[in-house]
Amino acid sequence: MLGGLYTAAAGMEAQQQRLDAVSNDLANVSTTGYKSLRVGFRDLLYQAPGRGGGAGTQTGSGAAATVLGRNQEQGALIPTERSLDVALTGPGFIQVKAADGGIALTRDGSLGVGPDGRLRTSTGQPLQPPIQLPAGTDPSEVQIDSDGSVRVGRRQVGRIAVVNVTNPDGLQAEGDSLFRPTAASGPVSGARGTGLEQGALESSNVDMADATVEMMNAQRGFELASKAIQMQDEVLAVANGVKR
Amino acid sequence: MDRGLYIAASGMLSEMVRQEQISNELANANTPGYKADRSAQAGFGELLLQNTQTGSVVGPIGLGVQIDETKTDLAPAPIHETGNPLDFAVEGEGFFAVQTPAGVRYTRNGQFTANAAGQLTDSLGNRVLGPGGGPVRLRGDGTVAGNDIGVFDVAGAKKEGDSLFTGNATGAASGRVRSGAIEESSTDPTRTMVDMMSSFRSLEADQKAIQTIDDTLGQFAGQVGAVG
Repeated sequence: MLGGLYTAAAGMEAQQQRLDAVSNDLANVSTTGYKSLRVGFRDLLYQAPGRGGGAGTQTGSGAAATVLGRNQEQGALIPTERSLDVALTGPGFIQVKAADGGIALTRDGSLGVGPDGRLRTSTGQPLQPPIQLPAGTDPSEVQIDSDGSVRVGRRQVGRIAVVNVTNPDGLQAEGDSLFRPTAASGPVSGARGTGLEQGALESSNVDMADATVEMMNAQRGFELASKAIQMQDEVLAVANGVKR
Repeated sequence: MDRGLYIAASGMLSEMVRQEQISNELANANTPGYKADRSAQAGFGELLLQNTQTGSVVGPIGLGVQIDETKTDLAPAPIHETGNPLDFAVEGEGFFAVQTPAGVRYTRNGQFTANAAGQLTDSLGNRVLGPGGGPVRLRGDGTVAGNDIGVFDVAGAKKEGDSLFTGNATGAASGRVRSGAIEESSTDPTRTMVDMMSSFRSLEADQKAIQTIDDTLGQFAGQVGAVG
């Protein structure tokens, strides 16, 4: 009997989740290497309504939204002319070592040099395998080739590992532009055909226009579901009003 | 006399079921591949009334109504481009098939993703089936060719929830798979809002009928029965 209220509420909740995802996208419109979220919708269980409906009748229980993963489309490359900035061209991630010692993946290639002389990300995670620059290296002398080889002068000091997983949608976002491999993503292996471009960064792939339209659409969907809640409430008021 | 009370009450109950369906419709205004439901109302059958003294026929009287059947309108809805390589839509007739723990189910919602084995799945992790009934593998670049995905004609398609339909596949359908696009929900917000308002007014009318009959019965008991 009160089912309709919850059906409409489920619809509002689904739209709210979509709004949350779009807000996150819009907030990260300038985040290096950010990939926009993909929100999937589905309807919920159908069941016989009980009194008032015959055997051939079924009513649904609303809608649900889930984040399916990310839109892995390549972001535009922005030249920065900084020698320690690298952008990935193609699918894949740079492999880094997280604070807990595990492996994390990122597409944010604004690298720096740690106090120990190792290359690390802007949020402080050292690359994995580690790349040690010789003491006293001026960052502008570092050469990074498209295959990831890091050279200082003529000497190769290491290679940036570009890796990928079978199912990037299964990666767990950790914040700080980092992703963790999970059972759903599959194991990490070398990425084929993905190059690195020195002196550039990959911009966020959020399209402002698309995200804004998406936001308006979600708002309208939210309004529709909220109208349904109001109506369900009035329906129950009429039912209550049978006895004056 | 009191028969009227139950007839009006059955009208209220069926309008309340209709309102629940409308809520579901509005909640799914953005669910890709959602197919709108139409409910059909039917009477319970009629009774022939006769005068108890003379036996002469008064006429038939209905015994109330109920929502008799929910019909899902399977007509294709507009398709819109998303550019996402794992979004798919069926252009024309037919359903995608997925392998769920409870058996093969069908869907028009093509917001797919992948699993760790590189197979195409729906948002709940059910494997999407190819034209031959096997799993669909992602290519090296993370995309899937549209004709690797099966599209089936389904007889007796019935909604089950989670965007899935039960039914029996009767072979390949005429629909074509379009990748990078999804089929919109077939909920028409304008029509649904109008349905919602008209159903609400019917509900109010049924309530008024109950109150009026109740007043009449009250007068019958209070005034006709009063002595002096």
